[in-house]
Amino acid sequence: MVNNSWEIIHIPGKPPFSPTQQPTVDVFASIVDPKHANTLIRKLNKIAPFENLRHVKRVRKSCSNGKAELSMILCLTGEDGTELGSMPMDLLELTNCYQLSPFVTQVCKYAATTKEEWEEQCKLWPTSFHPPTYNIEGITGFSEENSTRIFNYMNFALKLAKSAGDQFVNAAVIVDPSLNKIITSACDEISSWNMHLDGHESHSLDVVEATTSHDDANGCALLKSNLNGSFNVPKSSSSRISCLNPWQWSHQHLSSSSSCFWHPLRHAAMVAIEYAAARDRRLFPTMEESDEKYVPLDPNVTSASAVGLPAKRQKTKLANVKNGDDISADGFLSKSERPYLCTGCDIYLAWEPCAMCAMALVHQRIKRIFYAFPNPHTGALGTVYRLQGEKSLNHHYAVFQVILHNEALASVEESITVEKGE
Amino acid sequence: MMDLVESGVPLDSDAFMELAIQEAKGALDRLEVPVGCVIVENKKVIASGSNRTNETRNATRHAEMEAIDGLLQQWQRDGLSESEVAKRISECVLYVTCEPCIMCASALSYLGLKEVYYGCRNEKFGGCGSVLSLHATSCTPSNNAGIAGFKCFGGLRASEAVSLFQIFYERGNPNAPRPHRAVVHP
Ligand SMILES: [Zn+2]
Ligand SMILES: [Zn+2]
Repeated sequence: MVNNSWEIIHIPGKPPFSPTQQPTVDVFASIVDPKHANTLIRKLNKIAPFENLRHVKRVRKSCSNGKAELSMILCLTGEDGTELGSMPMDLLELTNCYQLSPFVTQVCKYAATTKEEWEEQCKLWPTSFHPPTYNIEGITGFSEENSTRIFNYMNFALKLAKSAGDQFVNAAVIVDPSLNKIITSACDEISSWNMHLDGHESHSLDVVEATTSHDDANGCALLKSNLNGSFNVPKSSSSRISCLNPWQWSHQHLSSSSSCFWHPLRHAAMVAIEYAAARDRRLFPTMEESDEKYVPLDPNVTSASAVGLPAKRQKTKLANVKNGDDISADGFLSKSERPYLCTGCDIYLAWEPCAMCAMALVHQRIKRIFYAFPNPHTGALGTVYRLQGEKSLNHHYAVFQVILHNEALASVEESITVEKGE
Repeated sequence: MMDLVESGVPLDSDAFMELAIQEAKGALDRLEVPVGCVIVENKKVIASGSNRTNETRNATRHAEMEAIDGLLQQWQRDGLSESEVAKRISECVLYVTCEPCIMCASALSYLGLKEVYYGCRNEKFGGCGSVLSLHATSCTPSNNAGIAGFKCFGGLRASEAVSLFQIFYERGNPNAPRPHRAVVHP
């Protein structure tokens, strides 16, 4: 998704290859008589199954001199080379039996992860393309409307990142995309651990109201004007960005006042998760009675409508809850409406998270991560580690970088890279 | 994993792991994933914690994080500065019933703990060798010269840690009624 000043790119679970430079393997193939095709496929699948090349199609249809032609992959070439003699005996027999004339050709080693990769692959030999097994919206592109929303939320995160005076910090905004609504937001709290605060929720809701009230065209213009010239990070003020410098806390004077705790692990994403959990507990309090299905959100608001309503009647009203705000007109939510952690939610981060934060977002079941700036020394979503590609994890999110084509923003990255590289 | 006898594990490590297991049992009783830990300084337990992810609905509230938060609060109430905290924590040893996950292993590395002893391995999320090795790799050396990872030893009373997980998962739905089981007092 390209915009004049913005671009959203998917950061896949494996290091990307240029579509035209994908790794290949050599195979033996042969033109076959179409009337033998079915028999041959059956026999080949038995003798030489495609164990690690399931994405490669066995048969290629092509056109030669106006005549349709079928060719078929027999097997991978051996390690011994591409001599015909290196083929297994039963394949050689098959070759003789059906009068095949094997030749060596190349197929792509890995399944395509994008349409572009797939199109390039098929120039060599046809493959199948299954868009990522986890079907997360956006991997194959964003609609104009959605990309504008993404820019707006990222803009909000970047504003938070520079809201701490002359020091830049990392910032996190958790969004429920199905409601187009900010769940919570947070900045690094390394030097001020607000143990008794319940997040910045009310603040952020005001801001998103302002942010999302702009239509598409205005939205982008607004972003540009907000960011232009306002995101110059002097070298000295990037040192407190939590995820970039997670080891350096002991050299800093963190405590801004004696009444505040400091905490080296309160990176923005960790704090945002905590706020989201606090909000969850507040909106969906646990009921001790297991058969109590509906939870009054606020006794003062709900008692009037609850009193005198038969239980059945209350249930029918729940249909409205999902479409509307958290708090429905009669103030009831069913347990089934209660979200499981941050399932379905997105998070916007100014900087690519470190391994601690990236893993925390796996634990909390975040659906999509958007970040603006890569984290050159500790980034865990493609730069140093690539958690979205760790197969053993029990949850996988999709990761996107929102690239800012803006000279002022480029200088942010540069100043940080220079400082870290010293 | 390293042979604990040959690797020179302190003799009292078994006693500290016992305390971590007790913490994990407490989590089990609260219908939490049973992981527990203690932080030891000069052969003295100065903090402990166990999993609170279900209670808090915050999936990051692992035993290690609970213990660390308690310790940092206590030290700041005692008036310790950043550098004093850093110095004392660099002498601390963590005993935890399960290999720290990628998140916790990163956190322990950032804080600069000296050593970690764990019970069973964490094949899915482990950050001390199973999935990633965050205890061994700290920051890029050019950037943070002198900062090392932490020493890590696994396999200490691993089967007991595993059996707690088995009880938890056999129970299935955490909200289901708990089966009657004998309370073990070692
Ligand atoms: Zn972080
Ligand atoms: Zn953990």
